[in-house]
Amino acid sequence: MDNNAVWLIILLPVLGFLIQGLAGPSLQKRIGKKALGVLAVLPIAASFVLGLMLTQGLASQEHAEAVIVTGGSWINIMGLNIPFEWVVDPLSMTMVLIITGVGALIHLYSTAYMAEDKDFSRFFAYLNLFVAAMLVLVLGNNLPLLFIGWEGVGLCSYLLIGFWYTDTTNTKAANKAFIVNRVGDWSLMLGLFLIVVVISGANIPVEDNRYLSYDAMLPALTTALKANPAMATAIALLLFGGAAGKSAQFPLYVWLPDAMAGPTPVSALIHAATMVTSGVVLLNRMNIVFQLSPTASAIVCAVGAFTALFAAIIAFGQTDIKKVLAYSTVSQLGFMFIACGAGAYWAGMFHVTTHAFFKALLFLGAGAVIHAMSHEQDMRYYGKLGKYLPITFGTMMIGTLAIAGVPGLSGFYSKEAILGSAIANSHAGQLSAISGWVGLGVAALTAMYMGRLAMLTFFGKEERWRKLPVAEHHDHEDGHDDDHSHALTGDHKPKEVPVAMWLPLVVLALLSAGAGFILNQGKRFEHWLYPSGLSQLGELKHEVPNLEIYSYIAAGLGLVAGVLVYIGGLPAKEGLDETKWARWRRSAANQFGFDALLTNLFAEGGRDVAIGTSAFLEDQVIDGAVEGSASGTRNFGGWLQQIQTGAVRLYAMLMLLGGVGFVGYFLFVVNRGGK
Amino acid sequence: MNVPLSALIWFPAIGALLLQLLGFVKKEKDIKSIAVLFTTVALGLNLAVLSKSNSGTYLFQAVESVSWIENLGIRYLVGYDGISFWLTVLTTLMTLIIVVATPDTTKNLRGFFGLVLLLETAMLGSFCALDLVLFFSFFELTLIPMFFLVSLWGGPNRNKAAAKFVIYTFAGSIFMLVGIVALAIQHQKVTGQLDFSIINIQASVASGKFWANALQAQTLIFWALALGFMVKTPAFPFHSWIGDTYAESPTAGPILSSVMVKMGSYGFLRFCLPLFPEAVQSQAPVFMAIATIGILYGALVAIAQTDMRRMIAYSSLSHMGFVLLGIFSLSYKGMIGGSFQQFSHGITTGLLVILVGYLVEKHGTGDMNAFGGLKAKMPLFAGLFLLGMLGSVGLPTTNGFIGEFLALMGAYETGARGLFGLSPGFAIASGLGVVLGAVYLFVMFQKVFYGPVKVTEGPDWQDIPVSKALPAFVLVFFVFVGGLYPNLFFGPMEASTQATRLMAISEATKRPSWKDKPEEVTIRVALEDPMQGQYIRAGSERLISSARLHGNVDEKREIR
Repeated sequence: MDNNAVWLIILLPVLGFLIQGLAGPSLQKRIGKKALGVLAVLPIAASFVLGLMLTQGLASQEHAEAVIVTGGSWINIMGLNIPFEWVVDPLSMTMVLIITGVGALIHLYSTAYMAEDKDFSRFFAYLNLFVAAMLVLVLGNNLPLLFIGWEGVGLCSYLLIGFWYTDTTNTKAANKAFIVNRVGDWSLMLGLFLIVVVISGANIPVEDNRYLSYDAMLPALTTALKANPAMATAIALLLFGGAAGKSAQFPLYVWLPDAMAGPTPVSALIHAATMVTSGVVLLNRMNIVFQLSPTASAIVCAVGAFTALFAAIIAFGQTDIKKVLAYSTVSQLGFMFIACGAGAYWAGMFHVTTHAFFKALLFLGAGAVIHAMSHEQDMRYYGKLGKYLPITFGTMMIGTLAIAGVPGLSGFYSKEAILGSAIANSHAGQLSAISGWVGLGVAALTAMYMGRLAMLTFFGKEERWRKLPVAEHHDHEDGHDDDHSHALTGDHKPKEVPVAMWLPLVVLALLSAGAGFILNQGKRFEHWLYPSGLSQLGELKHEVPNLEIYSYIAAGLGLVAGVLVYIGGLPAKEGLDETKWARWRRSAANQFGFDALLTNLFAEGGRDVAIGTSAFLEDQVIDGAVEGSASGTRNFGGWLQQIQTGAVRLYAMLMLLGGVGFVGYFLFVVNRGGK
Repeated sequence: MNVPLSALIWFPAIGALLLQLLGFVKKEKDIKSIAVLFTTVALGLNLAVLSKSNSGTYLFQAVESVSWIENLGIRYLVGYDGISFWLTVLTTLMTLIIVVATPDTTKNLRGFFGLVLLLETAMLGSFCALDLVLFFSFFELTLIPMFFLVSLWGGPNRNKAAAKFVIYTFAGSIFMLVGIVALAIQHQKVTGQLDFSIINIQASVASGKFWANALQAQTLIFWALALGFMVKTPAFPFHSWIGDTYAESPTAGPILSSVMVKMGSYGFLRFCLPLFPEAVQSQAPVFMAIATIGILYGALVAIAQTDMRRMIAYSSLSHMGFVLLGIFSLSYKGMIGGSFQQFSHGITTGLLVILVGYLVEKHGTGDMNAFGGLKAKMPLFAGLFLLGMLGSVGLPTTNGFIGEFLALMGAYETGARGLFGLSPGFAIASGLGVVLGAVYLFVMFQKVFYGPVKVTEGPDWQDIPVSKALPAFVLVFFVFVGGLYPNLFFGPMEASTQATRLMAISEATKRPSWKDKPEEVTIRVALEDPMQGQYIRAGSERLISSARLHGNVDEKREIR
């Protein structure tokens, strides 16, 4: 397989974007939504096939070799050369397969989910563009190309969160996502600069001045950082700042729950399976920097563990099915960072992979439920849905068990790998072991809140939406539009979703069930990503005595607890509010006031500072001084009325006088200087 | 075809005159067509001049020298190099765009276009003048047409805005004039000849004789010139004319202004750096601080604006801060980035101003709270606006990113090395400007284009017709050409930027000079940069060991 196919992998989604974006509306009239949907899925599916072929070529090599495909130059000035170049190696291809594979399934799903939306082609234009940007992020062989993808996916995320733009809540969430991410990007950009400074400061030659290309940079950077470990910590933390923004780690996670305002397939693809894992990919790419800084690794571990725990607790407070999954995503991303901090980068990627399967499945399943329930997302109005939605129910249960860490399913293996290496490795000092044990606790919590979600949605004693008022009239002509006009009513009959929606669910369910076991056979995934013998990481330990048993117990306890508490459904009185620990739950639902605090401090506070600066400093002081001096001269002019005939003339004259004085002074200084 | 530079400079002024004389052309449409023709020819002349350029040299090209006021040593001396290359293109391109974008319904179209064309000559002259008095004359000449454009065609507070603009700039240039005279006198003192040619003055500076024993004078004269340029750029705290000028001008005003402000940053590159090396080095931290404050302060004040034109004005303050940041980083990357940012700021600001101007023209207000939900009614308009906004926030693949990225990188590098007393803090703080840039633009976009439709009455809410959107399409094209193929822009400016930098930071006698012999030029540039000429082969495919991707130093094995 010719490696130049990597160009096609990227350009096909771009082509899809151009078709949908430029010709979408007119094509829709001519060939209909179905055919247009096929045109949206095809490029992604084709990229997936090409990706499979490239991966096969890569995997069949005896020695682990990567390929770098170089195109033209992007930025090329003296001392800095940034070409368009792509790297085909296990890490990039793993991500390519996830992005295009899961991406194609979600595109397919969306053709049905969005079938009634009037902006059908705009949706797929954004979605195709997202895939293209994400591919650039993982395939780029230098950090600026990664940055193109990094901000590109941020843009698509912004556009898709605010897809239903007439609702101000959505567009505010979109702004929040973009701006919070930019804070992370700021940090990432500074990290890039520091890398260039460190390498060039150490006078290490870099071939072709490709200071930011992985293959040229990483060896040089390693040499430079070994002589200067403090810089490793600085670079690592700056890069992690970027990763924390994109991958929603504390305290920059705040945008992700709000991002659920976007259509559900978007949440599945962007805010669960792919974009939010970019940070983990970055840490894998730049692992050597973290490897040289135990301090930074410890911080990564600690932030990951705290985020995992914090988000898992908040998940209990949510009643919106998508919000539960959103916090669950934040929590699972925390696990991935625990792995990276502990030095088990492969385990982080392993969890990225399995999480992509089961979380995409859960989100798409949630989307199917929402679709079947007239776009109602509140689980308090669900109940006993298993009866109506058998396929959704079955597949989502597999996803639930997979994320809960039930042995044999994929989540179990990746979580084991993370916890085992965190507890057994000492790269990040004591903190990694602590993070590992915290992670075990969070695993139990995960099983518990997922149990709650499953119980509230599919099981229970009653169909709770029956308590809602019955609809007065039925007109389903214009479909579910952006205004959520189709409120759930008491006489609603949920119907199983169409094949385009349940087929992806089934495929993802199979992957969620089997992928972990298959990839874990003989450490296959670890050796694929980090070939033994070439690895700089040394032998990673991940054997912890009896960890498996602890994990069984955690998953089991969590599930049983979740089921037991919610088996009775919800109390009918008090408006279906969960009376059990209600106050505590409400506090958790509000993220214990953390988001509000940040909003007050930075959004509101920042706006006040801006307005204050504008009104006082700018208008009163700076502009005031100008206008004041103008009116001052005017008074002065009144005093000298005989020579003043027009303000402008007077200023000009005064300036000239001043200028003449200035010239005199200059001449004086210049002449004195000469002597 | 060999087009003399003067033909380019004076053609628009002749066009302005012709337009007034062609009295028999009465119809607005025809007047506009003639103006379009003139500005198109000007752009063509510009490209014809530049097509002969040699990008390998930093010496001035297409130089013309005629004695003007002989007694005082003042010459009509023009020429261009890599620093002015793209600024002349920006001038002719944006003038054409302005003329095309000006609606036929503008009152007294003939006079309007006459002033715009006159302004074009003044701006081109400023970018090409190599004699200080000639430069000053062109620099001041820009004020007159701009004054009338604002005061005759502007909004309700046009008189105040016009007066403020003129007085402010004039006040700054008085200092500049003083500095210019002082420079000539110093030249007379050193060489015995009164001379205003920067080629001669700089040659003397390069040899180290010019400022020998006159360091204090150097700093003073530097500041005199710098004050004039700071007002023009605008740099904090001399920026407060910009809000009124943007908000009260006709649409052409801010676009012209966004080109004219480059005369300030260009002044730093052309005059301050080559002529005052020691002063530039010692004052660099001050200017980096001014740039950083401008970036953050401009962004902060922009957040508080409700008028879109004022917001764009303050965003200009912020974006021009990146230009200054790049220039005064005195690093090669930073200066390239700053120079690039000059061009890209003109493009993106022009794009946003044209689009906002379309709204203001139709609905009579630029208040962002008066609009809402426009995306549903005007999808094409919203799409163009979004692209302009992305260029302005500096999304990678747009031109805004390239300039800001390189300027910040340069500032960070010089700072991290502690050269010229700089600190990386400037770049770190300025990076926050990139975050704040997203705040004010995205919030404005949300208010105007998203949400429920606010205004349902009034003029029609038709989408912008493609014919009217044409200038915007052209600018969008440049936004992405600049972002995806910046090398096109770097090529002609590299040698001059490097030479300008070396003029400022090298020791006396080692400085390049515009009087260097052509055969010395390549040596000088190459000496500075041993890596030059190592370009990688495009379209290649290389196998490397995976170990290199994990930082394995020992792995040097290359296959194929």
